[in-house]
Amino acid sequence: MRKTLQLSLLYFLMSSLSGFGQEVLQWRGPSRTGVYDETNLLKEWPETGPALLWEYDNLGNGYGSPVITKQNIFINGEFDTVNYLLALDLQGKLLWKSKVGKEWIQNYPGARSTPTVMGDLIYVTTGLGQLACLETKSGKERWSVNMMSDFHGQPPRFGFSESVLVDGDRVYCSPGSRDTNIVALDRFTGKIIWISKGEGEITSYTAPTIIRLPQRNILVTFSKTALLGIDMKDGSLLWSYKQDGEGIDCQCNTPLYENSFLYCVNGNGNGAIKFQLSDDGAKITELWKDNKCDGLFGGFIKVNDQIISGGYEKRQYYVVETNKGNVVDSIKFDRGSVIEADGMLYLYNEKGQMGLFKPGKSCPELVSSFKVTRGTKAHFSHPVICNGVLYIRHGKSLLAYKVAK
Amino acid sequence: MKKPLSLLITLFVIGSFAMAQEPTLDEILAKHYKAAGYDKLLKTKSIIMSGTMIQQDAMPVKIIRMRPDLYYMEFDVQDITAYQGYDGQTAWMTAPWTGNPKPQAMPEDRAKDMRTKADFDGLLYQWKEKGHLVELAGRDTVGTTLAYKLKITKKDGGTEYLFIDPSRFIILKRLYFRNIRGKDVPVENYFHDYKAVNGIPFAFTQDTYFGGQPYNSLQIENIELDQPIDSKIFSMPVK
Repeated sequence: MRKTLQLSLLYFLMSSLSGFGQEVLQWRGPSRTGVYDETNLLKEWPETGPALLWEYDNLGNGYGSPVITKQNIFINGEFDTVNYLLALDLQGKLLWKSKVGKEWIQNYPGARSTPTVMGDLIYVTTGLGQLACLETKSGKERWSVNMMSDFHGQPPRFGFSESVLVDGDRVYCSPGSRDTNIVALDRFTGKIIWISKGEGEITSYTAPTIIRLPQRNILVTFSKTALLGIDMKDGSLLWSYKQDGEGIDCQCNTPLYENSFLYCVNGNGNGAIKFQLSDDGAKITELWKDNKCDGLFGGFIKVNDQIISGGYEKRQYYVVETNKGNVVDSIKFDRGSVIEADGMLYLYNEKGQMGLFKPGKSCPELVSSFKVTRGTKAHFSHPVICNGVLYIRHGKSLLAYKVAK
Repeated sequence: MKKPLSLLITLFVIGSFAMAQEPTLDEILAKHYKAAGYDKLLKTKSIIMSGTMIQQDAMPVKIIRMRPDLYYMEFDVQDITAYQGYDGQTAWMTAPWTGNPKPQAMPEDRAKDMRTKADFDGLLYQWKEKGHLVELAGRDTVGTTLAYKLKITKKDGGTEYLFIDPSRFIILKRLYFRNIRGKDVPVENYFHDYKAVNGIPFAFTQDTYFGGQPYNSLQIENIELDQPIDSKIFSMPVK
């Protein structure tokens, strides 16, 4: 009995130390900020990069990141114009593959979204607007809707790309039609709970986030040009903010809320922006904007008083000081996505280089890097870190690297 | 008065000496062949180059060249793979982003450029035998270098220029013209980052300007020589 207890304690201790038991159930981590709650990760890598634990090379085409539960990895991919959700075990072995719907192939062909897991159900979207709820055990479909045929939405220039938000008993999606702009559905049945008209614009590519306040919860997302704040109780539009300029249609990065401030980076629009949210969440006030920081779809990280974001026109990353809102530095590491874990930044650029950076008071410093040489097509996917493993999707391949100490 | 005169004479002598030192075309070409590793290149049967093409996105690219004058390139636009090839007779391409994924013959102006690119040893080597005319057209600046400017009147009637580094005798720049709606638009290729592979120097970076504007950058990451290649890839696919 005593031995069993000791063993259990030892296991518990080891699990705690290694961070075992973490889950990544949605786009860019637990709070959709790109920050992964990991500890005990390597602070530098060998010259050839961290050890590759395994590769699964038959995902189908796509850019969506994986989500990771205690037993499984879920990720979607396009095979011959059809989107499938794949379930792998934690060693990269395929468990099942389930058809979701037709996928976008007009440009950048492949699955675009990251699935969202809640309990024993998983929610997936395709580039042609199919939103399906499947069972995590089997991939069996519970229900599905189509944002074009059911809600009169129309796909944006690069196809529907939203990684849907699931909260409580609801799933939220953005068909982007004039009247049926944002929709809350019962996540168990797919039945409509409310419809928001938003600004009546077609949808953009943003995965929404939630601001939780004592008075209300607010869904924050983008339509074609407008940042939208929607009361999650009834779908009423609390506020919106339109990007300046012509030809704006590509809002991708998930906004970030922290201590009554809301941050956005819109390369196709006003660049980096900071807003003050009123106490009751009913109003936003622009504090600053800086259109030099023109990150398009690589996400951004706020660390200390800095925003780190990939650029677009200039192939580099930007460092934006968040009090005054000016670009204070740049990181010459091409352009791409950025995440954070255990106090370090992970920059994965479009040339396939993964860089480990140490943030500081000035510009983050490159500590180690390696080139992702396996996989196919563009290096657009956002990396994920879970339980000491760095997951990188490169087209048809999912690569798992050991980054725990 | 005496001083300015002697200065003039000195300048004249230096100038005449410099003129006398200006090499002939044959001397430039001889040094170029040596610098470009022709002794090894002429024994090389195939070249496979892979890397990244940076235009709007950074997309993978692969170029395969094989004797005699065969050329194949696969590259991605909007993450859709396109192909170009030349089998010694037909220059072909696919352009799937136009909605037509089928292989098609290249328009003649692009086919001309393809034939030039397919010349395994380059335009300058045995130019007389190939029916081209090469002339030394003085010097011109490429960046900060006063390079030798060679004018090539090709057998097909096209004109292009190659600019050769006067100290290293490698090609720094190629200037040619594409006819766009009746107008000749200059296309400039700048070659950087020369590194030797099996004793042959290759430019690992090639920046292209189209009509004076930056167009793309080809960044080569790997070059393999004399790998086995199925020659079928150079011919236009039937389907």
